[in-house]
Amino acid sequence: MADEVVIEAKGLTKAFTETVIAVEDAIFQIPKGSFISLVGPSGCGKSTLLRLIAGLIDKTDGNISVRNAEVTGPRKDIGLMFQKAVLLEWRTAIENVLLPNEIRGDVGPEAKQKAWDGLQLVGLKDFEFSFPRQLSGGMQQRVALARLLQTGADIMLLDEPFGALDEFTRERLNVELLRIVDDPEITTIFVTHNITEAIFLADKVFVMTPRPGRIAAMIDINLPKPRTIEMETTPEFNALIKEVRDVLSGHLDGAPL
Amino acid sequence: MSDVSSDGILKGVKELSLVHKLSMHLGVFVILIGGWELGSRLGYVNELIMPPPTAIGYRLYEMFFITGSIYWHYFVTMFEAVCGFIIGVSIGLSLAVTSAISPVFRRYWAPYAVVFNVTPGIAVTPFIIAWFGFGWSSKIALAALVCFFPPFINTLTGLLYIDKDATELFRSLGANRKQYFWKLQIPSALPIIIAGLKLAMTGALIGAIVAEFFSASEGVGILMQRFAFRLNMDGSFAALIVMSLMGLSLFTLMEYMDVKVLFWRRHSRMEEVSKKRKAKWSIN
Amino acid sequence: MSTELDTDVSHNIEIGGDFKGGLGGAMIRHLIILLVLLFVWEMANRTGMGDPLLLPRPTDIVLSIWKIYVTQGNVWYHLWVTFKEAMLGCLIGCIIGIGLATAAVLSDVFRQFLKPYIIIVEATPRIAIGPILVTWFGFGMSSKVALAALVCFFAPFVNTITGLLGVEEESYELFRSLGATRKQVFWRLMIPTALPTMNAGLKLAVGSAFGGALVAEFISAQAGMGILMARYTMSLNMPSAFAGLLSITLYGFILFRIMEFIDYKVLYWRTDELMEKKSLKRSLAWKKEMQS
Ligand SMILES: Nc1ncnc2c1ncn2[C@@H]1O[C@H](COP(=O)(O)OP(=O)(O)OP(=O)(O)O)[C@@H](O)[C@H]1O
Ligand SMILES: [Mg+2]
Repeated sequence: MADEVVIEAKGLTKAFTETVIAVEDAIFQIPKGSFISLVGPSGCGKSTLLRLIAGLIDKTDGNISVRNAEVTGPRKDIGLMFQKAVLLEWRTAIENVLLPNEIRGDVGPEAKQKAWDGLQLVGLKDFEFSFPRQLSGGMQQRVALARLLQTGADIMLLDEPFGALDEFTRERLNVELLRIVDDPEITTIFVTHNITEAIFLADKVFVMTPRPGRIAAMIDINLPKPRTIEMETTPEFNALIKEVRDVLSGHLDGAPL
Repeated sequence: MSDVSSDGILKGVKELSLVHKLSMHLGVFVILIGGWELGSRLGYVNELIMPPPTAIGYRLYEMFFITGSIYWHYFVTMFEAVCGFIIGVSIGLSLAVTSAISPVFRRYWAPYAVVFNVTPGIAVTPFIIAWFGFGWSSKIALAALVCFFPPFINTLTGLLYIDKDATELFRSLGANRKQYFWKLQIPSALPIIIAGLKLAMTGALIGAIVAEFFSASEGVGILMQRFAFRLNMDGSFAALIVMSLMGLSLFTLMEYMDVKVLFWRRHSRMEEVSKKRKAKWSIN
Repeated sequence: MSTELDTDVSHNIEIGGDFKGGLGGAMIRHLIILLVLLFVWEMANRTGMGDPLLLPRPTDIVLSIWKIYVTQGNVWYHLWVTFKEAMLGCLIGCIIGIGLATAAVLSDVFRQFLKPYIIIVEATPRIAIGPILVTWFGFGMSSKVALAALVCFFAPFVNTITGLLGVEEESYELFRSLGATRKQVFWRLMIPTALPTMNAGLKLAVGSAFGGALVAEFISAQAGMGILMARYTMSLNMPSAFAGLLSITLYGFILFRIMEFIDYKVLYWRTDELMEKKSLKRSLAWKKEMQS
């Protein structure tokens, strides 16, 4: 893996008010092609950090740059996915996938072919023309994933994308997600509450702690790839879980949740 | 159900301090009124069409403080509207409760509900006048007729659309019909019922005023009509403002009831009520 | 608080169970009951209960319907006048309401300024301005149109604001992250999201425009259903007055159904059956295009 840095933060800070400091003094470098998990308790600033990188909100202080350019607004090479699928309910699945092209004004045959293939890739064959309300929650997230791929972005910011789904569906989608982003060109940041999931997916886990939102630890995950569900029961895996837990509980003792 | 309300209009607007807000609104208001007055004085606005604010203001002052002529009319219209409201709401609520309890009644009443829904209540004005005469009773009757529908449809909707899980919870607890009605149906329907009552209040006032337009000897509605027909525009605008005040006072009353009754929908009220209940709590 | 509620009165009537759609047993049962009621009314009237002058016999009403629609045929003209007034007023009111609402949504400053006036307009019985409008615009059609517009603009106004503000934060973020322009956000996200609420507002507007036109006619008019009914009741020709009222009900019902139909067609993503039709249509179009 070439160690070209794609995302770099120096002293990145976001304060909503004087007392609500969602992100404080974040310092990190994310190399190209890596998969970063971001874990932390609710309200610690994970989403805020993601939105800062995506250029959706302005920082209060410090620096955030992507590909050596200061982030000033949304960029074409960054794609987002949320906990909710955020599908437009008046459009069929494939029309939702085509939204990025429509907004950029290039809905040609190529784009259409890509959208079609994308839906096949996420396992939605035969559901291309279903409306969101006709799809289950898991299927809706698959559409959102296909839309993310459609943007052609190579930096993917995923904010608890499968958080609202049941355990089984989530595990399956995680494996599929790994398959799709397992590409040396694609850099991923994945936000989750779930420690096991965070470790399972990542090259590196950022552990965030609340009030103020700080990245308390960055833990390298040196488990072999491709990952399998069986790994979750190995001693190495459990040691990593404990490591993350220790960081979190060190900060949470006595704090009201 | 019917519900039109401006409650959510400030969503997304930055909260300003009270002083800042007040001064801003006052500023705009003064500029608007000042511009209008100036336009009148300089002759850009025809006084016969839009009398200057000072003339309207003077007329109001006269009505309230010199002749005091407005109070009686105010009382008459208010009385008609409130009586109509009480009658209309009683009818609407009883119909709704009966419909909610008895599916048979609901089924046979439904087509007539549709008829009431698609006919503007005020279309019946001439009939009401013919039946009830020119006095107060016709105004009360029209007010009641115009205002009974929103409480009916809202209450019925509220009583019927109860959360399924909550219904099952009550059944599993062995609640009887009465308990189900008073402890679940009514409280969960209250927000919608109150929205219906608010609409009914406006409706009742409209009913009373329209009936007065049609024929009356007292009330703010007929007062304004007389002024308008005599081309006394400052008088009619003053009457319009009085009706606005009536609307606002009734509106505020309903708002107050909303805040008092639906305490669990507002944070500040919740705190208040929870403190009170804590103080009252005792095991015996 | 209550702004997220549904403004739709129509579908709740279906609570009445099998009334809608069923031309079968239910409809017949309803008809029988109606006939029994009318018969009792007729009999009571003929046996001297109730004042026939005030509450005319059903048979007289039927005869009057025949008279005003066929023998005299005068009702058509008045219906047309009121229809024109109400629809024109509704159109103007909706344009003003939706226009103001859009401006208020797009500009926070404007919305802030507007708020107190909205409350005043909401609380004022708007129909009360009728006499002033009649003096301003005269006794002809324009005063009726003006009152109809004024009475009906509020529901589309409020509902458009509520609908447009109802877009979820994540949806905005999605559009922004895709680099959408303000115009794209407005037309592709805000408007479709607001459509159901806006339509509900339009439905209410149609009804109230009708009421506004009638009241303006009561105040003073030469033609229209309002003045027609007023003349009939004044001369105590109650059967004809009832025939007029029934026409208004029928006319209201037809308009109501038309609005419901528009609602149903425009908001195709809210009914399963239309969704299926649409998805079939779009997939066929797609296949055709990909082949060529
Ligand atoms: N737009 C905003 N205005 C004010 N405060 C905000 C805003 N967005 C977030 N916050 C605050 O910033 C803090 C961090 O919020 P954030 O959404 O980033 O947390 P999170 O880690 O994503 O939580 P969750 O896991 O629940 O999604 C919270 O205290 C939150 O209340
Ligand atoms: Mg979050």
